[in-house]
Amino acid sequence: MTRPWANSLILLVALLGCAGGHALAAAPSLDAERFFEAKVRPLLVAKCQDCHGPDVSEAGLRLDSRGALLQGSDAGAVVVPGEIASSRLIRAINHADDMAMPPDEKLSDDDIATLEQWVSIGAPWTGPEAESAGLPSRAEAMAERITTAQASHWALQPPVRHPLPPLPDDLPAKLRREWATSPVDHFIAARLHAEGIAPAGPADARVLIRRLCYDLTGLPPTAEEADAFAANPSEVAYRELVDRLLASPEHAEHWARHWLDLARYADTIGYAFGGQSAKYPYAWTYRDWVVQALREDLPYDRFVTLQLAADQVQPAVPRDDLAALGFLTVGRTFRGSRNDIIDDRIDLVTRGLMGLTVACARCHDHKYEPIGTDDYYALHGIFASCEVPDELPVIGEPPQGAEAEAFAKKLARLQQNLQEHEAAVYDRVVREAVSHAADYLFEVVQPAARPDGRPPKLADGYELEQLIIGRLTRLLRKAKPDHPILGPWVSLSRLPEDAFPAKAGELLAADTGDGSTGVNQLVGQELRSASPKSLRELAEAYGRLIARVAGETAGAVDGEDEAPAVVALRRLFGEPGTPFIVLRSEAMRLAKRSEQDEYRRRKRLITKHQAEVPGGPPRAMVLEDTKLVDSPVFLRGNPGRRGDVQTRRLPTVLGGTVVDRSKSGRLDLAQAIVAADNPLTPRVLVNWVWTQHFGRGLVATPGDFGLRGEPPSHPALLDDLAFRFVEEGQWSLRWLHREIVLSQTWRQTSQPQPETLDRDPDNRFFSRSRRRRLSWEAWRDSLLAAAGTLDRTARGGPGSDPLDAKHITRRTLYSWLDRQDVPGMLRTFDVANPDTAVHVRPQTTVPQQGLVALNSPLVVEAAKQVAARSAREVGEQGSPADRITALWRAVFARSPTDPERAMAQAWLTQQEGEGNGDFGPWPQLAQALLATAEFQYLD
Amino acid sequence: MPMNMLPAHATRCSRRDLLTRSGLGLGWLAASGMLHTDAAGGVETSLGTLAPRAPHFPARAKAVIHIFANGGPSHLDTFDPKPKLQEYAGRAIPGALQTERRTGAAFPSPFRFSQHGESGLAVSELFPSVARHADRLLVVRSMRADVPNHEPSLLLMNCGDGRLVRPAAGAWVTYGLGTENQNLPGFVTMCPGGYPISGTANWRSAFLPGVFQGTYVDTKKKRVEDLVECIQHPLLDAASQRRQFELTSALDREHLAGRRHDPQLEARLATMELAWRMQFEAGEAFDVSREPKHVLDRYGDTPHGRQLLIARRLVERGVRYVQVWHGAGQPWDSHSDLEKNHRKLAGEADRPIGALLEDLVGLGLLDDTLVLWGGEFGRTPTVELPNDAGVKTPTGRDHNHHGFTVWMAGGGVKGGEVYGATDEFGFKAVDKPVHVHDLQATMLHLLGLDHKRLTYRHSGRDFRLTDVHGRVITDWLA
Repeated sequence: MTRPWANSLILLVALLGCAGGHALAAAPSLDAERFFEAKVRPLLVAKCQDCHGPDVSEAGLRLDSRGALLQGSDAGAVVVPGEIASSRLIRAINHADDMAMPPDEKLSDDDIATLEQWVSIGAPWTGPEAESAGLPSRAEAMAERITTAQASHWALQPPVRHPLPPLPDDLPAKLRREWATSPVDHFIAARLHAEGIAPAGPADARVLIRRLCYDLTGLPPTAEEADAFAANPSEVAYRELVDRLLASPEHAEHWARHWLDLARYADTIGYAFGGQSAKYPYAWTYRDWVVQALREDLPYDRFVTLQLAADQVQPAVPRDDLAALGFLTVGRTFRGSRNDIIDDRIDLVTRGLMGLTVACARCHDHKYEPIGTDDYYALHGIFASCEVPDELPVIGEPPQGAEAEAFAKKLARLQQNLQEHEAAVYDRVVREAVSHAADYLFEVVQPAARPDGRPPKLADGYELEQLIIGRLTRLLRKAKPDHPILGPWVSLSRLPEDAFPAKAGELLAADTGDGSTGVNQLVGQELRSASPKSLRELAEAYGRLIARVAGETAGAVDGEDEAPAVVALRRLFGEPGTPFIVLRSEAMRLAKRSEQDEYRRRKRLITKHQAEVPGGPPRAMVLEDTKLVDSPVFLRGNPGRRGDVQTRRLPTVLGGTVVDRSKSGRLDLAQAIVAADNPLTPRVLVNWVWTQHFGRGLVATPGDFGLRGEPPSHPALLDDLAFRFVEEGQWSLRWLHREIVLSQTWRQTSQPQPETLDRDPDNRFFSRSRRRRLSWEAWRDSLLAAAGTLDRTARGGPGSDPLDAKHITRRTLYSWLDRQDVPGMLRTFDVANPDTAVHVRPQTTVPQQGLVALNSPLVVEAAKQVAARSAREVGEQGSPADRITALWRAVFARSPTDPERAMAQAWLTQQEGEGNGDFGPWPQLAQALLATAEFQYLD
Repeated sequence: MPMNMLPAHATRCSRRDLLTRSGLGLGWLAASGMLHTDAAGGVETSLGTLAPRAPHFPARAKAVIHIFANGGPSHLDTFDPKPKLQEYAGRAIPGALQTERRTGAAFPSPFRFSQHGESGLAVSELFPSVARHADRLLVVRSMRADVPNHEPSLLLMNCGDGRLVRPAAGAWVTYGLGTENQNLPGFVTMCPGGYPISGTANWRSAFLPGVFQGTYVDTKKKRVEDLVECIQHPLLDAASQRRQFELTSALDREHLAGRRHDPQLEARLATMELAWRMQFEAGEAFDVSREPKHVLDRYGDTPHGRQLLIARRLVERGVRYVQVWHGAGQPWDSHSDLEKNHRKLAGEADRPIGALLEDLVGLGLLDDTLVLWGGEFGRTPTVELPNDAGVKTPTGRDHNHHGFTVWMAGGGVKGGEVYGATDEFGFKAVDKPVHVHDLQATMLHLLGLDHKRLTYRHSGRDFRLTDVHGRVITDWLA
């Protein structure tokens, strides 16, 4: 093939010499320009830019402009203009190293030649992408982004108190009076007015009390409570009701469940390998701590601080507060993958508490937000400096009595079983290592072939251990020929095979055997008596020496213990940490698979015992500071490719302060999150609480307050609430709930004014209340409430099966959840994904929910109980009409209307004489009520 | 529900479309405006979330049946013959690679290969019924994955990532396309006798809404009411339940009448109707006893026979994504006694797969149904050495992620073709290697979805099945 460019190129290269590319790039010659356009650019477009272009930039490399080309990849420069040999790009296209590009099909020889020529003449570029100057570096670009965001992004500005907007003039007098009290209403009314929307007006008393009870406690009012409020729906009565509900334990339980969504709470580690237990025996102590904290209305700043650093606050907290650390530790364990565990914690803390999507910066600087990989790995270091200890601290007394004694006794036995197994494995590992000492020595000098990259397996089935080979190699490498013990080995093992017998004899003869030559006496004796003729025999002689001071046969040197030669030999080969006497802690690493399985099995029995057998003391799922480290950046998130080490510190956008070097930094992080000048935390919290109350946040993306999140619909209101939450409310969640549920905005009816449907179709201006389906928990709890089986004394402790239809007595909060296998029924009702911080659950309406209402054993059992309850309540003298009323009141907290009662009676008559065993007409009627929309939805 | 609950390309089907599809003609439903999406923070009905949606571009396939030979079937004994192994029998092969455990000498396949169909495709004696469809198969012999371990490889194959919590392909596809039959789940996963390794993670929806998660069915069970949760009332007969349902409906209509315009409430009533119908339709779809005897005989009355027949019945009824696992745990994991084990496993799977392909052709469904067969990886051409993990004799093969085979049929892929190749021993994909992400990208492409555009916003970034990888292999398209 003719190469029209070749000649002129040779000329070009000759002319340029090694002038480098920059001058040339500024003004490429005509030839270079034609060459680039005709040959190079098409090649880059066709073969490179799919993966290294504007859409995808694998390894951080783009090949669509000269600036990007020169900036290189995450790992540095890829092209040095004018220098083929130092340009990684050229090595890659030649498939010279592991990095072979394009990965699937090598370029043709012609194409490779083209790119080599191009680099050799300085990688000239033409057109608008030729500019290489003026492109800011990554660090500069990120610094600028951070400065801009800090100056102008709404969520990063300190919240301030806003003057209350006046109520609109055209508000009817009654509404004006009602809406005048709450600051919330002023902001909402002003905005409604600006949009030309009239508020929907107040909900009626029964709707209001039902909504209030569910919102604050997750449970329905009783019929009596609803009647009483309907009879006297005064402001005073309403406020009393609010205060009573906020003070109730049910309130703490209900909002604990919301918080557990954010804390991605579940009772298992996720996937467990065969033989490993998936259960967290004590996750429930964290759940119970949250309930208790909310019962006490622990201020939110304290609430957060304890969850990140209860072990570090001063003065020290009572031990039961250590359970707060479960926030960090109840997550998935990703089959032990440490960096994924840390990532989960970083996401939880940053996105969960501050709406910052920091976890995106694990692999590259955030694409949109002011967060760099340096920020991510600065936080990574904080969590890399902590661990969950093997033994969790006890935070309470075990229950008294025989049960506890039996628990402790069994536990001690199980722990002893584990220790015995460990000891037996250790003994075997050491015994076999020592008895194969000669083989190890031989292997170090003459390594066997490793076709599969692993240490060899010996004829007797023993597999040499890399750990021991490595340790022995390092020991021997350090030894000099005059070493008393290893000297002879060092000298002799280097002899060529054919010269061995003669040379070895010579060398050994030189030793007088009394230690005067510097050779250890035992070694001298052994070698003289063995008089090795080969490396193998030499190794065996040393093997015997080692056996004398190590392992079981060490007793063979009885009586000589005091001899310095023995002491020296033992120090080298007979003590833990020497090559053959591995440390106890290393034993399981060298165990056979069957031994490891047995170890896990015995360990699992302990976890299972602690998780399932009552009688043990509660423990806190703590995190503790361990070895303090700073983490390097992992390029592209790959731990094998390290960048600069990042000092443990807060994200730059939050000031970037370096943490206390004497600790992991969790406490500093916690304090920064709840610091008075942190603009994000109070906003995120206020918005989160608002979202649960209204079904929609003032910020519609409650987990993303970044540049790409939704801006707030009512910025001044959000600001005002966030500001007052801290200043007036002193971080009290109960204060915040009151602010919201006492507002008229929240008390509106869900029936819209006809004309508002056009102006506010999705209710983003809060022109009415939002109709809602009960959550899974509230719905199941309501079944219990209707059935009259809810046990209000059974609070706390290990969880139970939420789908067990036979025991429907405990609130759903106290059920047990396997994050690896969330039951389909719970999924159907949109429970939060327990693998990530969830600020608001999705809400779907699907036919599977209908199937549950129609057929699930849970509903069927509840229906039987509701029917039985109604029979009990009306007694034997009660008429069917009375019993119908009792049913209605149990299920709907109201009496039936006359037509409803008549309909039910007619229906019952129709069922007469039908079979269906113990699921007769009354349970059927009860189930029909439980399956209605009225039972499951809130107006 | 945030706006992003549906993919950006989602277009609403017309109400009449929907009513036709769901078979409902209820006046109040039609008048309810139930297709309304309450865009932010509001409600999405299943009729919206699971309603059929137009793909990004015209699709070649409408449905997927993924037959998962979990545990890692040996490509060397099924679809990738390596005569060279005979030559090296009992000797070490050059360039052996590291896998999970130690392996030794070359292990020639104990099974006979022969050529089939006009294409002359090589298939071993293990799959005679599948081989009858040789001219419809696209055999990809150059698959590769990342690591030689089950858990990450299963998750990579199903969810596009070996470690992190990501939605399964079936969830992505249902999210992207909805499903054709509102009376059945859009994504069904069947496994007899329990879960495969990694369990429900293989079909989870992760951060996608829960409705997109695979519905698990234990096909070891035979009775319909045991197969599908809550499909039948545990105590009531159908007539009594009908009367009970009518009462609930009457109360609900009354409730609705007192409340002006509320799409969510209307949708709730509509879904109750659908649930009512689902009891019968799902019951019917999963009930293979309704098939004539000669059909049942062709599939065989085994868990595999039943579940592949169910797969056909589901796809016939418009289910989008069906996954069929060989069995609980990792049945194809033949570390030892490979000859015996593979013969038994193939013996269970071959006949019903052949019957399925035959039926799909006969019903005209194969053209727009993509059938995918394969495991999470293949096996080594070298023999696994005895070890204390339970391998007593050198009679099996270790895991091999460096190179393995999957095959596809229908759904717009070429037939009677082999794509790519492993080295002469079958250890590593060397010619036209295909990463699992590429397979996923191409599968989405066949379904009319651009794997780079099928995204979901979560934690501040747009996620996709193929993460930042994957390329569409246009050579596969018919």
